[in-house]
Amino acid sequence: MSVFEGFKFRKVSSAVHRLDPRIKFFYVIILFVMAILFTKLLALIVLFFIPLPFVFIARVNRQWLRSLRGAVFFAIIIFATNFIFGYFYPSSYTEITGAVDSLGEYLVLLERASAMTLRFVVLIASFSVFFLTTSPDHLGLALQQSHIPYEFCFAFTTAVRFVPVLADEAQTIMDAQKARGLELERGNFLKRVRNYIPILIPLIISAIRRSLELAEAMESRAWGASEKRTNLYVLKLKRTDYLLVLVSVLMLIIAVYVWLYVSIPSLTTLLSL
Amino acid sequence: MAIIETRDLTYTYPGATNPAITEVSVTIEKGDFVILTGPSGCGKTTLCRCFNGLIPHFYNGNLEGEIVVAGLKVNDHKIHQIARHVGLVFQNPENQLFALSVEKDVAFGLENFAMVRDEMRKRVDWALQMAGISELSERPPHELSGGQQQRVAIASVLAMQPEIMILDEPTSFLDPVGAQKIFEVISELNKKLGITIILVEHRLDLASMYANRVIVMDEGKIVLNGEPRKIFNSEKARLIGVGIPKVTQLYQHLKIHGINLKRVPVTPQETANILREVLKHD
Ligand SMILES: Nc1ncnc2c1ncn2[C@@H]1O[C@H](COP(=O)(O)OP(=O)(O)O)[C@@H](O)[C@H]1O
Ligand SMILES: [Mg+2]
Repeated sequence: MSVFEGFKFRKVSSAVHRLDPRIKFFYVIILFVMAILFTKLLALIVLFFIPLPFVFIARVNRQWLRSLRGAVFFAIIIFATNFIFGYFYPSSYTEITGAVDSLGEYLVLLERASAMTLRFVVLIASFSVFFLTTSPDHLGLALQQSHIPYEFCFAFTTAVRFVPVLADEAQTIMDAQKARGLELERGNFLKRVRNYIPILIPLIISAIRRSLELAEAMESRAWGASEKRTNLYVLKLKRTDYLLVLVSVLMLIIAVYVWLYVSIPSLTTLLSL
Repeated sequence: MAIIETRDLTYTYPGATNPAITEVSVTIEKGDFVILTGPSGCGKTTLCRCFNGLIPHFYNGNLEGEIVVAGLKVNDHKIHQIARHVGLVFQNPENQLFALSVEKDVAFGLENFAMVRDEMRKRVDWALQMAGISELSERPPHELSGGQQQRVAIASVLAMQPEIMILDEPTSFLDPVGAQKIFEVISELNKKLGITIILVEHRLDLASMYANRVIVMDEGKIVLNGEPRKIFNSEKARLIGVGIPKVTQLYQHLKIHGINLKRVPVTPQETANILREVLKHD
C-alpha cells in the first residue's frame, strides 16, 4: 500500500523539525501570499528557491522531490489550460495585440503559462516542506494550543495513529480474499472497482468494531473527567522560532515593496536585450 | 475489607433476550489476586464491564441487583469517577492505545484528570518504570510487539494509580514469554503496591501461582469460588473444562494410581519439592 507510505510518521530530528509548527505554518502562509501576489515568472522563480534551504537542513530532499513529482500531473493541466485560454482569449494580455500571431506573442503566452504553473509548484513545495518536517504529534499539539476543540485534535492524531494499522489490515484482508479465489486485476474498469467490494466490507466492519473498542478504552481512562484537560507536552517558542517570524515578516515587507514600486521585467524582454 | 461487592447482579445487553450474567453475588477483598476463568461466552468480560461502570453507563441495557466498587455505588457514579479507582486492561493491545508515542498514551488518563504537568511527568515515568518499559517511552505504539503494547496499556492504567486493576485476557494475543512477563509485572503491582488484581485468564499453568483466589464462571453464573488448589482439584472444574494446571492433573493421576501426595500442587517448582520428599521417604 504505497499510497499510505507518505503518511507514515518518521521520527527524524533537525533544526527545522524542532521549529514550532505554528511558526512554520505562518512562514508557509507568507510564502503562499507572496506566490499569489506575483504573476511574473522571474519573481516566482525567486520564490521557488526560498524553501530550499529548509529542505536541505531537514534532509528531506528525497521525500520532497517525490511530492513534487506527484504534482506533475496537475502542473501539466494548469500549464495547458493557461496556454489554451490565452491563445483563444488574447485580449486578457496587455502585451498582445489582436490574435496571437508572432513569435514574441507566443513567448509572452508561454511565459505567462509557465508562471502560473510555477506558482502552483511553489505552493506545493512549501506546503510539503511543512508536512514533511512536522510530526503529527506536534501538529495535533499546535492545533490544540490554537484553541481548536480537543475532540477534533484527538480525532486527528488518532486517525494518523491508525493509518498504518488499517493499511496492514487491508493487506491481510486482500491476501485472505485472494486465497479464496478473488481476482482483483480482472475485467474492465467497472468490474475491477467492483472487485474491491469484498475487501472494503470486512475492512469497514472491522474499523467499526475497532472504534467501539477504542471508545471503551477511552471511557475507562476517564475521558471527559474535567472541563479543561492538561497536556503532557507544551509548545514553547524558542529563539529560532522568533528568528523565523522575523525572516518571514521581512520577506513579506520586501515582497509588498517590490510589488508596489518595482516593475519586474518579463523573462522574454530580459533575454532579448 | 471488601473492595468489590455485588449482590444478585443480573445484566441483559440491549436487544438481547437472555441475560449475559445472572444473579452474580461475589465479594473481592482488598489486596486479592483473583483469577476469573470459565469457557468463552460465560460472561467474564460482562462482569468486568460491571466492575468499572462501562455497564450500565456505556452499554445501557438492563442491570439489576447491587454493585459497590471501592465504596462507590456503580449505578450512581460516572465512568470517569470510577476510573480513579478501577483500571481496565483489554484483550486487544492494539485498540486501547491511541497516541503517537508511548509516554503520551500513558499520560492520557492523567491529562483527563487535568493533572499539572510536573506531577504528570513524574507519574508517567514511574508507571513506565513499574511496567519495565522506560526505554520505550518515545516510541510509537504501533511499532511495538504485542507484549510491549500490553505493558504500555498496563502502564497507562497504572499511572492513574487505581486500587483495583482488571485485566481481561491480557495475554491472548501474546506468546508464552510475553504472557509470563505480563504476569510478573502484575504480580509485582499486587505485592509491592497492594493493588487488587482481577485477571481473566485461560492459561492457568502460568498464572495460577500468583493468585490467592480463583473464580470460575459458567453460563453467566459463578459456579466455583475459592482457594486455587481446592478449585483445581475439584470434580466440577474438570467437568466445566477449566484449564487445570498440568501439575495438578499429575497429582490427580498419581492419586488414581494409589500415590497420595501431601498437598495439591499448582506450580512445577512446588511439585518437584513434594515429589522429592516422597521419593526420599521411599
Ligand atoms: N456488546 C454485546 N452486546 C450484546 N451481547 C453481548 C455483548 N458482549 C457480549 N455479549 C454476550 O454476552 C454473553 C457473555 O459474553 P462475554 O461476557 O463476552 O463472555 P466471555 O468474556 O466470558 O467470553 C455472550 O453470550 C455474548 O454473546
Ligand atoms: Mg471475554
